[in-house]
Amino acid sequence: MNHLPQAWGRPRDDVYGAYNPHYLPHSHGGHQAGHPNQHTQSPIVTGTSVLAVKYNSGVVIAADNLASYGSLARFTDVHRLKVFNKKAVVGFGGDVSDMQYLDRLLLSLHVEENYAGSGDVDDKESDVALMSAKNLHTYLSKVMYKRRSEFNPLWNALLVAGLTESNEPFLASADLLGTTFSAPTLATGFGAHLAQPILRRVVPDEEASKALTREKAVEAVKECMKVLFYRDARSMNEYSIAIVDKESGVDLKLDEKLEGQSWAFADRIRGYGTQTA
Amino acid sequence: MASLFSASLPSSDPSYSFNQAPTTASEPRQHAFYPYTDNGGSTLGISGADFTIIAGDTRSTSGYNINTRYAPKLFKIGGDGPNNENARIVLSVVGFAADGRALKERLDTVVKMYKYQHGKDISVHACAQRLSHLLYNKRFFPFYVTAILGGVDDEGKGALYSYDPVGSYEREQCRAAGAAASLIMPFLDNQVNLKNQYDPNSGPGLEKKPREAQPLPRETVEQLVKDAFTSAVERHIEVGDGLQTMIITKDGIQETYSPLKKD
Amino acid sequence: MFIARSEYGRLFQVEYSLEAIKLGSTAIGVSTAAGVILGVEKRITSTLLETSSVEKIVEIDRHIGCAMSGLQADARSMIEHARVTSQSHEFHYNERLGVESCTQAICDLALRFGEGAEGEESIMSRPFGVALLIAGYDEEGPSLYHAEPSGTFYRYDAKAIGSGSEGAQAELQNEFHKSLTLEEAEVLVLKTLKQVMEEKLDSNNVQLASVTRDKGFRIHTDEEMAGVVSRLEGSGA
Repeated sequence: MNHLPQAWGRPRDDVYGAYNPHYLPHSHGGHQAGHPNQHTQSPIVTGTSVLAVKYNSGVVIAADNLASYGSLARFTDVHRLKVFNKKAVVGFGGDVSDMQYLDRLLLSLHVEENYAGSGDVDDKESDVALMSAKNLHTYLSKVMYKRRSEFNPLWNALLVAGLTESNEPFLASADLLGTTFSAPTLATGFGAHLAQPILRRVVPDEEASKALTREKAVEAVKECMKVLFYRDARSMNEYSIAIVDKESGVDLKLDEKLEGQSWAFADRIRGYGTQTA
Repeated sequence: MASLFSASLPSSDPSYSFNQAPTTASEPRQHAFYPYTDNGGSTLGISGADFTIIAGDTRSTSGYNINTRYAPKLFKIGGDGPNNENARIVLSVVGFAADGRALKERLDTVVKMYKYQHGKDISVHACAQRLSHLLYNKRFFPFYVTAILGGVDDEGKGALYSYDPVGSYEREQCRAAGAAASLIMPFLDNQVNLKNQYDPNSGPGLEKKPREAQPLPRETVEQLVKDAFTSAVERHIEVGDGLQTMIITKDGIQETYSPLKKD
Repeated sequence: MFIARSEYGRLFQVEYSLEAIKLGSTAIGVSTAAGVILGVEKRITSTLLETSSVEKIVEIDRHIGCAMSGLQADARSMIEHARVTSQSHEFHYNERLGVESCTQAICDLALRFGEGAEGEESIMSRPFGVALLIAGYDEEGPSLYHAEPSGTFYRYDAKAIGSGSEGAQAELQNEFHKSLTLEEAEVLVLKTLKQVMEEKLDSNNVQLASVTRDKGFRIHTDEEMAGVVSRLEGSGA
């Protein structure tokens, strides 16, 4: 026993050597001292595409339930569509931990927004006070732009689907750079290459979107989810789909299975798989 | 093949089966976050005797993808409320769209604050200087945009100011910016400032006098803008989908939209 | 710090500073279509005093000037603030600061005494003990403003402040009319000062300045002062 109470009960450096803090976070003396804190410079566990289409009275949005760790299909039950309120759903592509951060942010925002207004979902009068999808998109895009400006991006591509204040269908995107845009059909990630052309064939412009029925919109989105499962190696056959409608509110299904798959085309493809010639 | 044998040389230090090659935190990273992107598109402005026209295509791109066929690059500045009613100044931004939007919002706030503080609408002249400072103040992390500001000056003449991303600016008769600037600007030099045009009756050969540039009438300018963009669409993949124009006169801003080729 | 209020909710400190100004030397401003004339009495307290060192009219910018009454030292920081605001405005907007905006900028300083409502550190322990007459020429034409320690300001055609202000204001009320020329305004200012001054007015114990469209702010030279004084004497006043 010595006269240094802070040393009592601790391993002695002269016997065991100095404590190695290497595994600790930077803030607790971890890593090599003198090196700066590093922000996320690349995503780790990721989700792939998110798709959405506007139709005459609402928006359909879908994303599969896979979270990949590089090429490893790590988690198969990750739901990447988050319902904000009865007017807005957010779909997340990219880093899953950043998605979870944003989800927590949205929860606190939801609590704040509904504290003053009415939280009653059936109260038609309170709709006016409800934060619209347009408001939510503006908020999220500013969060994304601020983080990119701090060189500490949230590594996501988001689609915000829902309704405006006046209950018009609304669909817009925001990404890790803070870039925003809006269109009758949107797709992030691989979907921008594979699904967007198919969706644009169904809904070439705003006018076509105003004429599109809910059934046709759902059908187009499901068809695209199938094409993405065929061609995107980081996708899976279980997905979430949400419909935000001005009449019926949000209808979210979390564990849908892809239907009517046909792999007949695969056996005509040469160059991989089991063929020998 | 040498790399196969570099893993375990005999040593007295404790060693492990996994890779023990020293990694220093200071070695260069393979991939770092790059905070900019280019969203393509082009803008153009021409000033006349009592008006200014600013135009831009509405396509937004990421590489070879089209994000959307309608993303406006023209913004009304000042005026009343969130929809800028009764505004007399237009800002166009092309380059990195997120920076463009942030810049537009800053300028709009400044212009609205000016009216509250000084009890009068800001002049384009003053707005132009302020915009320069907004850009220059962020010169070490610039807004990656080429801006064009248009309006009508204190004397009622069309006023057009063009900027580089760090705030260097100049008042001009015409300016093209963005992806197809190099295609449109020479056309404007020739058709607006009458470069390389000579009076055929003014003498022989090299003694021919260059034609003097005059402010052009509105119909001529509107047609020039349309021609510039239909041509740019043919030759540049990032330009197309739609053409948005704003014409600023003493009476206000007239906005039009016309389709461009979507291919 | 606790800021005392009267039973009617008035701030004692501000009331006192308004009183203090009534002890200051008289300053007068008269606005005409051609420009604004400012005039002050210099109160030469000793024959040994170098009269040119009494500075009660100062330039804020090329197109704005100001006359003061009260604690001159307090005016220094207000004028410094106005000068910086004016320069900063021209730098940011490439245009001259409006006279009203300049006055507003000065008055923004006035109630910064005592700590703030959210407990911010105070930057001044008491209100300014000085009133200003701010004269300028901007795109709206000539204008004259009076700024008080309370932070309020009003625009005037003609205004007198300081110890002789009551008598002087009554005189201005009688003599002012919209069609005054700049020269008539110079004489009117001197004539009014003369009536309320204890000393006998001469070209050393008063000072005049003008703000016009073409020449901006100018303090009258000794020759010009002598000229106006002789015109005043010639007019038989």
